[in-house]
Amino acid sequence: MSFLADYVHYIGCFALVLIGLYIVLVKTNLVKVIIGINLIDTGVNLFLVSVGYIRMGTAPIFSEDGAAGKQMVDPVPQALVLTAIVIGVSVVALGLSVAIRLYEHYGTLDLRKIRELKW
Amino acid sequence: MVNPILLIAVPLGLGFIIPLLGLIWEKPTRYVPAAAMVFNLAASLLLLPKVLQRPWVVETAGLPPPFSIHLVAGPLGVGLSLLIALVGLLVAIYAIGYVREGPVAKYHSLYLFLLTGATGMVLTADLFNLFVFFEILCISSYALVAYHGDRAGTESSAKYLIQGAIGSSLVLIGIGFVYGLFGTLSMADIARNIDSVSPMKLFLPMAFLITGFGVEAAVLPLNAWLPDAHSSAPSSISAILSGIAIKAGLYAVARVLFTIYGADTIALLVLVIGILTLLVGEMSAFSQNNIKRLLAYSSIGQIGLIVFALGLASALGVQGALFLVVSHALAKSLLFLSVGYMIYRTGSMEISSLYGMGRRMPVSALCFTIGAFSLVGLPPFIGFPAKFTVIMAALERADPLFTALVGVVLVGTVVEGAYFFRIVQGLHFRPPPESATPARADQEEAPVSALVPICLLAALIVAVGVYPSVLTHYLGPAARDLLDKAAYIHHVLGP
Amino acid sequence: MRKALSLVVLLVLALGLASALRGPSIGAEANRGELLDDQKVNFGRRYNSRAVEETGASNVVASVLVTYRGLDTLGEVTVLFVAALGLAVLLHTGRDRKSGKEAEAPSLIVFTGCRFVFPLILLFGAYIFVHGHLTPGGGFQGGAVVASGFLLIYLGCRGRQPDRQRLNAVESLSGVAFVVIGLIGLAVGGSFLLNFLPKGSPYALLSAGIIPVVYVFIGFKVGCELGGIVADLSGARR
Repeated sequence: MSFLADYVHYIGCFALVLIGLYIVLVKTNLVKVIIGINLIDTGVNLFLVSVGYIRMGTAPIFSEDGAAGKQMVDPVPQALVLTAIVIGVSVVALGLSVAIRLYEHYGTLDLRKIRELKW
Repeated sequence: MVNPILLIAVPLGLGFIIPLLGLIWEKPTRYVPAAAMVFNLAASLLLLPKVLQRPWVVETAGLPPPFSIHLVAGPLGVGLSLLIALVGLLVAIYAIGYVREGPVAKYHSLYLFLLTGATGMVLTADLFNLFVFFEILCISSYALVAYHGDRAGTESSAKYLIQGAIGSSLVLIGIGFVYGLFGTLSMADIARNIDSVSPMKLFLPMAFLITGFGVEAAVLPLNAWLPDAHSSAPSSISAILSGIAIKAGLYAVARVLFTIYGADTIALLVLVIGILTLLVGEMSAFSQNNIKRLLAYSSIGQIGLIVFALGLASALGVQGALFLVVSHALAKSLLFLSVGYMIYRTGSMEISSLYGMGRRMPVSALCFTIGAFSLVGLPPFIGFPAKFTVIMAALERADPLFTALVGVVLVGTVVEGAYFFRIVQGLHFRPPPESATPARADQEEAPVSALVPICLLAALIVAVGVYPSVLTHYLGPAARDLLDKAAYIHHVLGP
Repeated sequence: MRKALSLVVLLVLALGLASALRGPSIGAEANRGELLDDQKVNFGRRYNSRAVEETGASNVVASVLVTYRGLDTLGEVTVLFVAALGLAVLLHTGRDRKSGKEAEAPSLIVFTGCRFVFPLILLFGAYIFVHGHLTPGGGFQGGAVVASGFLLIYLGCRGRQPDRQRLNAVESLSGVAFVVIGLIGLAVGGSFLLNFLPKGSPYALLSAGIIPVVYVFIGFKVGCELGGIVADLSGARR
């Protein structure tokens, strides 16, 4: 049982990554592909946070009543995740605007029909 | 003395100013990227002699490395930032006249951010910071590829974005593993501790990092986006993507391979990937009718050759690879720039429609010829000493396998020569197609703002080709910067 | 065919990930014992033990984000800026998206409600980014809250849109301000993004030197940028 307790967060986040990857590989609707990319991002962000996790740890914020520093989780992955979230949002926003433009040109979001250039 | 952080901070600040300036008065915005690159060029030139003595480790936030993000301005970093500034400046001058339609201020801002991302990548010594600058580079190039908003541009931008986004996610997973294993993000610190972790656990993170950065570097299985993106973008952007952006991706791969990982174990794999990329690129280029697609595939071929040279993992090999990076950056941006106005005049990217352009646009056609000959590796141009160094490095191994691989490289060069000679012959000696619209005499040759960078690039190619020692003097230290792990760690973290 | 192939790829990837995670695992929990050993550099441990004294901010994540990894944050702000610019470029030349059917005007209750809540949302966002160095939150979070206020306006009060030009100006100005703060640090102490302001006493609102200042700029910037992205995507600009 301890196996599950040790690994459950990793299993969860990589499941998200793999589901997202599956969507990107299989689906042909551009918006669905972007949703897949978003899922991958979410999984990766969860992974980064869980790398810094300590069991029973608290948020790395000191308060005046004085929490013990030893019990705090690693702050660096949290800072990295904040950056990664913003980058993910940027990519998704740009992807959606590309989708809007493609829809204007082709009247469809089906990637099988949008093949003027060779893949 | 100029602090190397200014190479990043000044273009970044100017990039933020451009949209503001665009709100008030749009006209001067197009000179801002050129101004920023003049600054970077001057600063890099000032820094270069100093960092050849000893790399300059720059701390931020007033803390010594590795506890804050730090930059390492070594011979390689400053050399590459010099190359970026040089090519960036020339392409920026070209773009002043070339980019006239659409949201011009936003174009210049994005363009400047792209160059800043590349400069940041080559200077930073922090793995996550490398990723952040990599993303600046990638996202601005996704947007710039679709700048015209036409069908081809949008479609290739979508492909590029999807593949790039997956690549960045892989990099991020790799960084997560690395941080989990080492508790540090400084590349020198990781390199120092790399032996404390079993190779089995290291393999996957490194594979993720290399694959992720490899998407931008366009090595073999990861380059499906490149021909589309480079051929559909505006010509000035194609030039910078081929000349600078893929080199930045390649730099990230090489840093991870040599400085962090120590490439000896997988050098052969890198070599094979390089050869395959070279062959596939050159063969695909041979069968193209679209001039920009042809140039894009030829970029893949050249990247293959650079990866091959890196895979030799010897001082001379890496030196040759860096020589090729410089020669390809100059020659390929020259080709894209000179072909830009030919396409603009004829309105077509078909090679057959460019026949006879040697008479209509003599200077552009001549410069195109110089660039093409240099890429093939003909003697008085920079491509010759570059390819020669790589082949010498491969023969240095005195191993039948490597001799055979040199044969393959030469076959690639022959194919390259075949398709470039076909175009050059068409440009100069074939009659123009019947359907060609006779343009007015006053708008035949490209405008001065385009001819200046084209001629400067051609002059550089010839000059360095005649006096390669100008460059080789710096390539040795730069190659050592990449290969000598112990020295890198020593410079950053102290003894 | 494609499905089967993708499943094979995913299976290989999953096995690889499983093997990489097996054994003494990665991450802070697994290396907990090692944390006591001083030989190895560990960012997290060092920041948790020294950040308050070095930066004066009680929120360690904030001090990591703005000082220790300030260059990353500058890059991150740039990425968002680049994305907003790219979005504007992509949607610039598009067809007029206001094709014919004008959106139905919202009811009076929705309209008044949105107008009533909007300043409160802005206030809350400002609270979050001003207190970024003391409590959970910070510039990005506060900015996202501010942007949700703009989103509400786009949804509920059509016809009352914020001035795009001003949004863009604030965006650019805060970006420039961030770089300038970094450069002042370089000029004063020879190091980019140096915390050159007095640190004050921890837990006070006016403490931690440049962290709250930078966070205010980031808050403004992110709020305007995300608001602009929402506006661009909803085609409200034309």
